[in-house]
This record gives sequence, C-alpha cells and structure tokens, in this order.
Amino acid sequence: MEPVLMILIVGCVVIGGLLASLGAHLLPVGGAPAAMGTATGIATGTVQIMLGAVMTGLFTAASVATFSDSLLLVSLSGAVGATVMMCVVMFMANVLYAFGCGIVPVSGRVDVDPITKEPQAPYRTPQTDGHGVPNVVYVSGTIGGFLAGFAGALMYYALLNYAHFSAGLAAIVALSIFVANAILAAYNIRGTIEGFHDPKFKRLPKALISSFAVSLLCGIVVLLAATILGGAL
Amino acid sequence: MPIEVVLLFAWMLVIAFLAFIACTFEDLESDMGSQSNPNSQVQLAAQVGQVNRFFNKAISGEPLSNAMYCVTAGTIAWLLLRQFEPLVPGEEWKAAVLAIPIGVLAATMINMIFSATSHCGRTAAQKRFQQPIYLDVLYGHLVPIGAHAFMTTFCITCIAYIQSNIGTLSGNPALNHPFALPLLGFIWGITVGAIGSSTGDVHYGAEREFQDRPFGEGKRVVYHGKITRYAECGVRTQKDIAGFCLKFGAPCTGMTFGLIILFESWRSMVGMQLGGFLPALPAFTATGDMAAIFGIVLGLLIVAALMVGNLVFVKWVRKKYGPFVGV
Repeated sequence: MEPVLMILIVGCVVIGGLLASLGAHLLPVGGAPAAMGTATGIATGTVQIMLGAVMTGLFTAASVATFSDSLLLVSLSGAVGATVMMCVVMFMANVLYAFGCGIVPVSGRVDVDPITKEPQAPYRTPQTDGHGVPNVVYVSGTIGGFLAGFAGALMYYALLNYAHFSAGLAAIVALSIFVANAILAAYNIRGTIEGFHDPKFKRLPKALISSFAVSLLCGIVVLLAATILGGAL
Repeated sequence: MPIEVVLLFAWMLVIAFLAFIACTFEDLESDMGSQSNPNSQVQLAAQVGQVNRFFNKAISGEPLSNAMYCVTAGTIAWLLLRQFEPLVPGEEWKAAVLAIPIGVLAATMINMIFSATSHCGRTAAQKRFQQPIYLDVLYGHLVPIGAHAFMTTFCITCIAYIQSNIGTLSGNPALNHPFALPLLGFIWGITVGAIGSSTGDVHYGAEREFQDRPFGEGKRVVYHGKITRYAECGVRTQKDIAGFCLKFGAPCTGMTFGLIILFESWRSMVGMQLGGFLPALPAFTATGDMAAIFGIVLGLLIVAALMVGNLVFVKWVRKKYGPFVGV
C-alpha cells in the first residue's frame, strides 16, 4: 500500500473520531430525567441518540458512495442525513412536551437564551433542571448532528475507497470506531448535557485527547487489516 | 416520466408508511413492557414504598434491543431467502412472503423470553421492598408485548428487504442499496429504537406515569418513584398505559420516524432526478456528483425549515402557556 494512502486512512479515522467526540458534546442529552420533564434535552442516552443519527446519515452516504467518488460529497450527504434526523427528533419531542404534557421548552443551565435572548428562569418548574428542547439547545443539537454524521460518513468513505473494504464491512468498522468515541464522550459528559452553553462543555479538551488516542489506535488496526489481508476484505 | 422512476418513488412512499407503523408499535411495545427511560421510575417505585402492578422489563436501551431483534429477524430471513429464492425463479417475492414472517417470529420469541426473564429477575431483586411478582401481570403482558414487537420487527425487516432490493423491484438493479438485509435491519433497528426512546418516552414518562400530579409542568425530583398506581378502573397495569399512549405519544413517535425516512429518501431521489441521474444512472461522473449536490442542498433546506419551525413553535408555546405560576 502506498504511504499516502496509509496516511489518508489513519488521518480520516482520527479526524472522524475527533469530530464524533465533539459532536457528542454538542448533542442535547437529557437521559432518563428528560423523559419525566426533569431535565432539558432528548430523553435518551448519548451513545444511543448519536448512533441513531449517524446510522441515518450513513445510510444515505452509502447510497451516494455508489454513484459519487467525491470525499466531500459523500461526507456531506451523511452529515445532512444525521442533521435531518436530529432536527425532526428534537422538533417532534417539543411537540410531545407541549401538546402531550403541557410543558414549555426551557433551559436549565442558563437564565437567558444566548441566541434568542428569551428569558428562561420564569418558565422553569422548581426542582427541575429545565425541560423540553429550547432554541439554543436545538441549534447545538443541529450542529452536533452535522458533525457526528460527517464523522461517520468520512470514516466510511476512507474505509471503502482507501482501505478497499466491502460496503458492509466499512459500515460496521466505521460504526465501531464511532461507538468507541461516543462512549468516551458519554463518560466525560456523565449524565446530561445541554450543548455548547453548558458548563460541562468545558470538559471537551480531555475527551478530545482520549478520542485522539483511541482513534489513532483504531486507524493503525484498520491499516494493519487492510495491509495484511489486502483485497480479501 | 419513465415507469422505473415512478416505481422508485412509489416504493419510497411504501417504506415511509412502513416506518410510521414500525415506530408507532415500537413505542407501544416499550410502553406495554415498560422499557427504556421511564422504567427508571417503575424500578424506583417499590424502593420508595409504592408497591405496583407494572410490568418491569429493562432488557437494555431501546436502540440496542431493537437492533438485536431486527438483526435476528433479518439474518434468518436472509438465510431463508437464499434457500427459497432458487425454488421460485422469476417470482422471488414469493420467497420473501414466507421468509420474512418466519424470521420475525423467531425474533419475537427471543423478545418474549427476554421480557419474562427480565421482569422476573428485576422484580425478584425487589423482594426486600415487599414487591411481589404478580403472575397474572407476567402472563397477561407477554402476548401483547410479543404482538407489538412482531409488528415493529416485521415492518423494519420489510423496509430492509425493500431497500436492499429497491432497484430490482423498480426495474433497475443498479439502484439496490449496497448494504445487505441484516445490516439494514441493524441500521433501522438502532434508529427506530433511538427515536422511540427519545420521543415516545415523554408521553409515558412525563404524563401517564405521573397523572395524579399537576398537569403542565416538568415532574419535580420529589415526585420521582411516586408513580400513579391506580387506573380509571382498578389497579393500573401496562395495558392501561399502552391504550393511553396510543392516543398521542405513539402516533407522534411513528410520525417522527416516518418523516425521517421520507425526508431522507425523498431528498436523495429528488436529487437524482434533478441532477439528471435517473433513469440512465451514469455513476462516478459529473452527473452523479450533481445528484449528490442536489440531495445535500435539499437536505439543508429541510433542516433550515425545521429550525425556523422550531423557533416559531417554541415562541408560540411560551406565549400561549406563559411563565410558571404554580408553587
């Protein structure tokens, strides 16, 4: 295998891993408390919602990779797919909170929405950490979905076209590397996070360092598999 | 418009419809067996002295358990398809009619076994809190859980089958999705679970589990574990909850997944049409790139529309409901 290809494979995997970690920190994750309207965000775990979004993006990216050989276009297709998934989920969650439970979307971490400047504190239920998906959280989730989808599709493209894996194997390997990074991010988040305005977002550098280490290791393993097994995959 | 293109769009709509049904039943299945996030309250209930007749199954997070059922169903269906398809040359759909339900049935049985062991195990662990294992609750919920799970897994496996053969079905085999049937089952199993968990849980967790608490506010930490134990008539079980969530939470959840599949397939196919890719399919050319670009632009337009929609919706809700006035 040419050295340029080797660098490309490892580079794409590392960049994908770092973007996955960054994306996970931007997604509004409320976990179990969000299902009771006790915390802001989406009512599920970090890894679960990330996987759901990236899978949707990867589905479209894999279709696009059958007729386009542009790295940027395939990655962007995956990114937009994941973003669409996140946007629909967050919007419909708000519809359910509003019409199903009569709950107003409000942030628990800031008193004024940093984007729309809407006051948050007067709308918040006492003894809760916010509820629903307010606008700043929605924007953060959209960016997070875009980055996560881009990361998944980028790794898929590199494994498919540079490491010459088959489509199915490339998808499984890309998702596995993605899950490793998402779980690392979930450990760093520890429960719930609202997005870039959350104080927990400041923990990001540590997660990026560990993500870099894990992705580099994954990249080397992929490289070994591609070099030793050649076209057998 | 060529018939291949019309058929492609028709199959896309069938997939979106199946997705709607799949996610509706997925949410109902998690309500019927109390899985996922709101189940934390059922677990907590006995510990705070609230002995209850809820079915307590927390096999795992919804995405992973659904992925497992869909992959199991997809793998068995795929293996059977390999065996049956040579028997009916030219009429391969006949093999699918037999193979998919058998695969799904196997996955449903695994679900029911997991549900039974999960409920018994978890409730037995709460013996120290005087929580009994009600045998009528165990027997009475297994069949409804299996029935709902069958519908979910069946629809997802059908979606995976159609997508992996969409080109063949619409007359242009080059358009078949590159992923095999079990992998597509895995993808949509994870996604359907993620959506059922993140959207559908809200109606069960924030409303139905705490129905004797004030409506229109987030559920306070002091309420946690103190779930509503009495139904409109008698003691509440999960059967009352599924009926309630079917009125709003489950269809909303179904619509979420249906919309995602519709938007994703629609933007890809309209992109192909606008880029001039259909029906000749000149792959790896400038036309292919144009199809991808149109798909991306359409996707970004959908994202922008949803962002504006959420902005308007949140503003409207805040104005309509007003600030918090309780105590």
